[in-house]
Amino acid sequence: MTSVPAVERPRVVHHGLGRIFFSKPIRVLGLSIILLYILMALLGPVIFPPQIALVANPAKVFQGPTWADPLGTDFQGVSVLAEVVLGARGVLMVGIAAAFFIVVLGVLVGLVAGFVGGLVDTVLMRVTDLFIAVPQFPLLLLVASILNTSSPWMLVLMLSLTSWGALARSVRSQVLSLRERDFVEAARGLGLGTRNIAFKVILPNMLSYVAMNFMISITGAIYAEVGLLFLGVTPFNPDNWGVMLRQAAGTSGALYTTKSMFYVLAPLLAILLLQSGIIFVLGALDEVFNPRLRKGGARA
Amino acid sequence: MMRTIRRFGVAVVMIWMVTTLTFFLIRLMPGNPIATAYQTLLQQGMTAQQAAVQIHILYDVYPNQPVLTQYFVYLWNLVHGNLGTSIVYTGRPVLGLILAAAPWTLLLVSMGLLISFVIGLLLGVIVAIHRDTWIDNLTSQVASVFHGVPNYITGFIFLYFFTVMWPWFPFGNIYNPSIAVGLTFPFVASVAYHAVLPVAAYVFGAFGGWTLSTKSAAMAVLGDDFMMADKIRGLTSAQRLDHLVNNSILPLFTGFVLSLGFMFGGSVFIESMFSIPGLGYLVQSATTQRDYPVMQATFMLLSAAVILANFAADTLYSRIDPRIRN
Amino acid sequence: MSEVAVAVDDLVVEFSSDEGPVRAVDRVNLQLERGKILGLIGESGCGKTTVAHAMLNAVAEPGRIVRGRIHYAGHGDLLGMSEEAQRLFRWQHVSVVFQASQNTLNPLQRIEAQIRELARAHRISNPNALVGRAREICDRLRLDGRRMLDAYPHQLSGGMRQRVGIMLALLLQPEIILFDEPTTALDSLSQESVLRIIEEIHAKEGISGVFITHDLGIVAEVADVVAVMYAGRIVETAPTGTLFNAPRHPYSRALLNALPRLTGDPRAAKGLTGAPPKVVGEVAGCLFRERCRFQTAQCKMAEPVLTSVDADHRVACFKINEEDGRASV
Ligand SMILES: Nc1ncnc2c1ncn2[C@@H]1O[C@H](COP(=O)(O)OP(=O)(O)OP(=O)(O)O)[C@@H](O)[C@H]1O
Ligand SMILES: [Mg+2]
Repeated sequence: MTSVPAVERPRVVHHGLGRIFFSKPIRVLGLSIILLYILMALLGPVIFPPQIALVANPAKVFQGPTWADPLGTDFQGVSVLAEVVLGARGVLMVGIAAAFFIVVLGVLVGLVAGFVGGLVDTVLMRVTDLFIAVPQFPLLLLVASILNTSSPWMLVLMLSLTSWGALARSVRSQVLSLRERDFVEAARGLGLGTRNIAFKVILPNMLSYVAMNFMISITGAIYAEVGLLFLGVTPFNPDNWGVMLRQAAGTSGALYTTKSMFYVLAPLLAILLLQSGIIFVLGALDEVFNPRLRKGGARA
Repeated sequence: MMRTIRRFGVAVVMIWMVTTLTFFLIRLMPGNPIATAYQTLLQQGMTAQQAAVQIHILYDVYPNQPVLTQYFVYLWNLVHGNLGTSIVYTGRPVLGLILAAAPWTLLLVSMGLLISFVIGLLLGVIVAIHRDTWIDNLTSQVASVFHGVPNYITGFIFLYFFTVMWPWFPFGNIYNPSIAVGLTFPFVASVAYHAVLPVAAYVFGAFGGWTLSTKSAAMAVLGDDFMMADKIRGLTSAQRLDHLVNNSILPLFTGFVLSLGFMFGGSVFIESMFSIPGLGYLVQSATTQRDYPVMQATFMLLSAAVILANFAADTLYSRIDPRIRN
Repeated sequence: MSEVAVAVDDLVVEFSSDEGPVRAVDRVNLQLERGKILGLIGESGCGKTTVAHAMLNAVAEPGRIVRGRIHYAGHGDLLGMSEEAQRLFRWQHVSVVFQASQNTLNPLQRIEAQIRELARAHRISNPNALVGRAREICDRLRLDGRRMLDAYPHQLSGGMRQRVGIMLALLLQPEIILFDEPTTALDSLSQESVLRIIEEIHAKEGISGVFITHDLGIVAEVADVVAVMYAGRIVETAPTGTLFNAPRHPYSRALLNALPRLTGDPRAAKGLTGAPPKVVGEVAGCLFRERCRFQTAQCKMAEPVLTSVDADHRVACFKINEEDGRASV
């Protein structure tokens, strides 16, 4: 492909990124939360070596917080903190990978449908409609129970195949409206091919939207993943918050004692905290990409 | 009228497509349960003949028939209201299971939807009126965190705190089995008592979204000229609030009807968590026990709910907005 | 001298913005005599609508009245009344024909329902009579009364909506009506009929009015007195004849010169260049000086205040004695 001549187009503005993030304490908080999770995912097994940290200890069942176990212990006497930290890697990896494929699939389908138009558009959009109409979670359940696998990659595949519809639809409508704009006309005037315009002119202009969707898709994928494991549809898969929840609700007996509070709440709060971090940062992303918001500054 | 009929046609076609998709999904994917069961029976020493009969008893299909024939038989049965029989609840017709479960789901989901919508509407309007104050900042931030939190998280928290920590509410089932079923006060009261936590879980999972969308709708309406004119015409605050709310509801209406369809999907978690014998519970137990006829039928039903809600939203919207009504 | 129906006294209105408070109206004084029509003219954005809305203490967010008095004969200062009294005062005593009257009706209610709502808001004991009166006024405005009241706003044309707006303004028989560009949206035939109606009402019911417009021809026709606004200030006020024949403020002169005229010196027909300044915070000097042909050092130092040059004729300018011919070289 040849390089794109300098077509006039609105640029994504990157300067002042730091200022935008640090202008609101809540964004700094959001960013720190996300960093914390990434650290947990990367360093979890270093901090809590599984062979040591996950060993059952019948003497310590359902203990409250202590210095050694800041979040107490579970029904086997294992440190809840260790379980949460060790669970982060699997959850985040599946969430991020699924979000990645959701975005790739959604953008690709939307871009092609919006740009090629005609029969291709009609067919792609009918399929998209179908995927939107089918309730995502039950479909996930159905597919998961048929595949009956605990491979994280299958999980990623299922999650992404069931949730790209809405993004594809809105990417398509954005392409349709961007197509009419001057800078796309200008690119066409310069004789750029359709593929070039789609990927080098239009896609960069939707970067903000895609980035925000990626973040939101991460939380969505994590919810679905944890939910599946929680329902016990996919085979047992250790070291995951969903499995913690499932045991908390089921076999562990945690629901028969009030001593299990930290054990029950820890995976829930781990998810909620991650969600909050992502939401807080989304506000900043919104502002980075939509300079209109930058002056008003009243939004979070 | 023609448009309504055409839309209904589209909805029916969509439902048919989902049915077809499900049918082939179950039969053509690796680990096809029927083929697996058939193989298992053969390995257990049955003859092909016996195994086929056994499979027919269990799954209502002849494993040696071509898939396409099975498909047409399935469709034929379907339009005659025959959804097959359950494997786990041996011999019970799937339709009966669904009809017994549906009312509870309908009750909980519609209560949850209504209450969360009303709360979201109130908060959204309040926030729009007080925009850029601390009320706005706080409420909007809380709403966006709650928006998208799945109901199993809120449900689990309620479950733990209010049935375990402080056992104020009952756990499991939707009424006290020792009370006779009927439209009597004790029965209705028992249902209401059991419904509190599940409904609260739905509400906390959904109000954030309603708050945010009401806020943006109401802010747009507040900028409209007629709201300014209302004040100058000396209308009372109540009348002006009325105009604000009515005009803000319009753009939310479609989403409201649609989410009725989607919330059925969300009932899987709440109902299995609180052991409520509704559709969600049926889906969950059928899935974990690989009860395919039930899975297939419930999945179809949940999809049909979304598709029909879509149709209803389109059709009803033109009735509430005079500008569309002609 | 006749009685003053409303006196606006030292009115200041600000809109808060990111750069600071924008002064949309600055120290405005106006007097409207009973039975008279006051023309309010000036460029787009000079604050005419804001003055009208402030006269009802109904400036839209994020605007607010910083100070001033709106004194109505027989009622006192509007700003001193209770909220409820203000609400009832609006529309019963002073009504508005809105500039954006295309969209000033609730899209979800039929016109009749909106009239009944008005009746309830103003505690009118016989709403049916009010609806009947609305139908009558419609007929006078050459609208099919029955059809209008049955319609939703979107079913009416722009001109019809404009006249429905006029009907609503007349409905409660107010003493004062603020006409905010009532004819701008109309074709010349409808314009003519609306003007006729306004004059008729004016003559028959003794209503006082403020008439805001960009159309100087219409002002010359309907107004008894004219006030010229510039950047939130009144820069000149005079009886209509005086203002049109002998404007004194350079801005008024430019405004009148922009008007194509059949008679008069063609050399004088020079329009204005540039745009009015946006007023944020305190300012020094005359706000018109950048666009003024007569600007001197004095104009930069201090802001001229309205001073009487004649009976009923007041001008805010240091250079009122400059002649066009001398300055334009
Ligand atoms: N909602 C608002 N927010 C911020 N500033 C406003 C708002 N409304 C008006 N203003 C400011 O007040 C000034 C006066 O506006 P106003 O509507 O009174 O002008 P106008 O003379 O009626 O103009 P036009 O002839 O265009 O109707 C404007 O220049 C604008 O800067
Ligand atoms: Mg105006």
